[in-house]
Amino acid sequence: MDAILTLATISAALRLAIPVALSALGAVVSERSGVLNLGLEGMMISGALAAYSAAEATGSPWLGLLAGAIVGVLAGAVLVAFVVYGRANQIVTGIAVSLLAGFLTTYLFQQNYSIGQVPPRLNRIGLVALVLLTVVLLALVWFVLERTVFGLALDAVGEAPEAADALGYGVDRIRAIATLIGGGFAGLGGAALVCGPLGLFIENVTAGRGWVALALVVFAGWKPLPAVVGAFLFGLSDAVQLRLQGTDSAVPYEFFLALPYLLTLIALVLRARASRTPAALGVPFVRGTT
Amino acid sequence: MTLTIGVEPRAGAVRVATSAVRSTLTVPIVALLAALIGGAVLILAEGEDPFAVYWTALDGVLFGPRGLSDTATAATPLILIGLGYALAYRARLFTIGAEGQYLMGAIASVALVTAAGVRDLPGPALMVIGATAAVMAGALWGGLAGFLQVRFGASVVISSLMLVYVAQAFLQWAIRVGIRDPDSFIPASRELGAATLPTVPGLDTHLGFLVAIVTGPCLALLLARHRLGYRVSVLGHNADALDANEVASRRVMLAVIVWAGGLAGLAGFAETAGVNGRLGDSASLGYGFTAIIVALLGRLHPIGVVLAGLAVAALKIGFEVAARSHELPSSLVGVIQALVVVFVVAGDALVARGRGGSR
Amino acid sequence: MTDPACAVTDDGATVDTTADRGRSAVVMRGIHRRFGTTVALGGVDLTLRHGEIHAVLGSNGAGKSTLMKIMVGLDRPDAGGVTILGEAVDRFEPRAIRSRGVALVQQHFTLVPTLTGGENLVLARPEGRLRPDRRACRDRLASLVERYGLEVRGDVVAGAMSVGEQQRLELLRALDADARVLLLDEPTAVLTDAEADQLLAVCRRLAEDGRAVAFITHRLAEVFSGCDRVSVLREGSAVISDAPIADHSRADLASAMVGSESSGTYSRRASRSDEAGAALLQLRGVRAGRLHNIDLDVRAGEIVGIAGVDGNGQADLEAVLSGRTAPETGSVHIGGATMVVADPRSRRSLGLAYVPSDRYRWGLMRPMDLADNLELGRVPRVRGRRAHRREAARPALQAWDVRSSGPAARAATLSGGNAQKLVLARELHDEPSVVLACYPTRGLDPNAADAVAGRLVDRAALGAAVLWIGAELDELFAVSDRMFVLSDGELIGPFTSPFDRGVIGLAMGGLAPGSAPSKPDRSPVPELEQQEPSA
Repeated sequence: MDAILTLATISAALRLAIPVALSALGAVVSERSGVLNLGLEGMMISGALAAYSAAEATGSPWLGLLAGAIVGVLAGAVLVAFVVYGRANQIVTGIAVSLLAGFLTTYLFQQNYSIGQVPPRLNRIGLVALVLLTVVLLALVWFVLERTVFGLALDAVGEAPEAADALGYGVDRIRAIATLIGGGFAGLGGAALVCGPLGLFIENVTAGRGWVALALVVFAGWKPLPAVVGAFLFGLSDAVQLRLQGTDSAVPYEFFLALPYLLTLIALVLRARASRTPAALGVPFVRGTT
Repeated sequence: MTLTIGVEPRAGAVRVATSAVRSTLTVPIVALLAALIGGAVLILAEGEDPFAVYWTALDGVLFGPRGLSDTATAATPLILIGLGYALAYRARLFTIGAEGQYLMGAIASVALVTAAGVRDLPGPALMVIGATAAVMAGALWGGLAGFLQVRFGASVVISSLMLVYVAQAFLQWAIRVGIRDPDSFIPASRELGAATLPTVPGLDTHLGFLVAIVTGPCLALLLARHRLGYRVSVLGHNADALDANEVASRRVMLAVIVWAGGLAGLAGFAETAGVNGRLGDSASLGYGFTAIIVALLGRLHPIGVVLAGLAVAALKIGFEVAARSHELPSSLVGVIQALVVVFVVAGDALVARGRGGSR
Repeated sequence: MTDPACAVTDDGATVDTTADRGRSAVVMRGIHRRFGTTVALGGVDLTLRHGEIHAVLGSNGAGKSTLMKIMVGLDRPDAGGVTILGEAVDRFEPRAIRSRGVALVQQHFTLVPTLTGGENLVLARPEGRLRPDRRACRDRLASLVERYGLEVRGDVVAGAMSVGEQQRLELLRALDADARVLLLDEPTAVLTDAEADQLLAVCRRLAEDGRAVAFITHRLAEVFSGCDRVSVLREGSAVISDAPIADHSRADLASAMVGSESSGTYSRRASRSDEAGAALLQLRGVRAGRLHNIDLDVRAGEIVGIAGVDGNGQADLEAVLSGRTAPETGSVHIGGATMVVADPRSRRSLGLAYVPSDRYRWGLMRPMDLADNLELGRVPRVRGRRAHRREAARPALQAWDVRSSGPAARAATLSGGNAQKLVLARELHDEPSVVLACYPTRGLDPNAADAVAGRLVDRAALGAAVLWIGAELDELFAVSDRMFVLSDGELIGPFTSPFDRGVIGLAMGGLAPGSAPSKPDRSPVPELEQQEPSA
């Protein structure tokens, strides 16, 4: 049990954290505009499959990342059409998107790789590059949210859409942009999962990480930096459980399997009341209802 | 004057009512058809003739040797879980974690029924004990997510799903260590023995199916004629009004999610005791997620959920039959099922938009 | 303060504005607007002139707000034309019209509560794509504060400001965009008298700078104390259009507003019982939220009116008395029994009926039918068939004159007045001994308001203790046996009939009458005194 926090563990933690961090960043953007993106898990896995296919076809994992982001944006567009312009229930729609993406990716993957056949491993992107990418994107998101007028308008649309509307901001347009950005980040997160050190796509490869990202956004109080920190803590618990699984311990290894999700749940519970939810989160905007 | 007020608006009310009924039925039917058309495109892409595939599937379900009974068996967990979702969603509690409650129900019932001292009881008693244990375990697991929501404000959507992963890990431990059959080479639970659900004569499916079919109307009655049903409606439409006039909304929330969890737990027992006879590595088949489709396709109405459960199960069984004579990947049917729910959501949005436009 | 004849634009250029004086700034001709079958505006003309304050009068639902929304592009007319500063409006779109120099200060504020005053300014009129830091935001607000003499704190989020401060911020934001046309929708509704006077003085200064100011109100006094011209709307048409104030008397305008019938004809009870009944509602030393140490008895057969400016503790009083929240200290007794918290059914069985301030939030389920709405709080464990339930609801709907398409109609289809009658039908059905009525006539047309007030008065005549929290003084004067003023969380009073408007007005402004003990540690004029720059 000694030296759990070795360099290997830390790097494993980073590897496991990056996909969650990217998705959580995307969720921060879309949720601050008032759109609850429960399709996040679906967008991640769509991005993962797109990235794997593109990277395998071209041999370039960077193109894979790009493809993942693009497919994430496209999946975001589906959500936008439904919840922003169609004013559909955001929760049900998000769940539907996640369900569809889960089944569809499994189907498309089986199309190309029959069961039992080992899919080829990708050229992988190094961990350092991914960490740098995440840091750059974190800085970018922070800058846009905190230092631009667009970020101010985004908050206004998530807090008081009728006020933003009265000031002439297009509520639907801003929410659409935020949701597309969120989708792109989620797709990128999925892509980072397969184009990173894993280098593989397997069915249900995201294993609920999209939902974990959503919980972390609450934990982070809808702020980008705490969201990334939260993702690292998730990655750390995931890395530790992977390490402990192999050791002879009195605690059954299944406990460690459940540990990252338990910790996410605890984080959610601890912070749910303390963080201030954007006032209009999940509420479709219809002019003149308030 | 009074005369016109008395007559004219009533006609209006009837019109409103019929249009509501029409969209209630139209949306799911159109969604189902649209999903089948979407599926046809995928079948074409596979190089198969969609008409032939659908015909084989329909023929297999209706006239195949085990078509109807397999459909009934497959529908059983979907209906039970779907009924729980319908109840919860009516109260606007969007739980998605029935898979966890299903597993906990299954594990608890197997553990209790196969425990030393209990397992020698007569079959009917074991079935009652197993079902009760499953309902209570599912209710507890669901209630935990509900408790976290009403006590800490933690979104039940996310917390219920996190608990699915915990339950899956628990299942792995249970079949490896906790309730392992010592004679089994691979991890698997002890066998249920006398608690195995009997086959219903004439239907060729297990007793759980009857329970599921009867639960639908019971829940419909509860919603329409019992105070809890009324409170669920009020909670779904205006929780503040419920708090101010009727009862603390958190109590209704907890009740709803406990009931929904109990139904999912019962499904876990029905599936284990009716089909598999024991718990294995593949006990988590995702019924908890497919049942979301069933609940939404059934318009959150208990009778609708029963019909939708049968329809979705028929789709699954039909494709299994069709896959024997056609080259079809097993995952295709999942895509069609998911398309159903997407089209239901789209249809609802369109209907709402149409109403809003005519306002 | 700048020279009144000159306005300084942001780049520092000075423009002579006196030449504009009296010229038309906004011309609206033949404006029609209907919502479904309701005609909100049926051909209204209105002209706003530079250098003048134009009062737009009308009772609730007369079409004032719709007219203003059209002027700023938040709504569009079905027919008719609008000309702003000489140019016809072809696109009714908020941003386009705002850029022409028209600004609306709405009844419901359009500030973002989580942003500071300065950030709200930046949001309304950004300079470039980057967002200035907090200090730059604060400085921008500070320069406006200095220029117009309207005190607003720069680094406090809007949600933490009092309504008066929020309104000043709204006004500054409109001025920041150098609005030439300022529309104020019921700006004094939430202000104390002193604040309202201050606001009128500011408007006068702004008009002297050459701006056109429209002042929407239903308070006659303000029209005469501060406006140049007046238009009166009634049921969607202008009964008086662009008339100089001097041409009209108060009585003229009052009758123009309400039509031939006079207003406020609540069925005043013929005889008020002088005998004090038993105290059915008792508050003892209640502290909760803004409330401190409230003692109050409401006796059988009397109506006690609670007046006061919104935000002085009314919401806390409502929450405690309706059993939604527990008082921090003290207790509430209904007919001698202690109030239960968070158990509305036992509240009802104690005999307390509750007419909430926001009927759509606390009182009704809009998507559910009328029969279901009538059962809220009274539903039996096992219910009858739906058809029977609906049939059973019919007599109540008729008795309470709820006009609808029948018990199967959804509550959402009811007008405001009928929705309120539905709430009353349910709450008064079981002959409650205590009635808590919070702003029961808010948003209702005069007929519906009369009907609702009449029902509550009847209930008191039958022996109920009624506590009426209200905003309209005339209405409270008409219905109350005794009155209190809620000011900064304390009850001032009681006042008894005949009510002295002057004394009660002062109490609402935080100035307790000489007899009432004044607390040395508290400022007597909370709102105005606290404006002194604190940071």
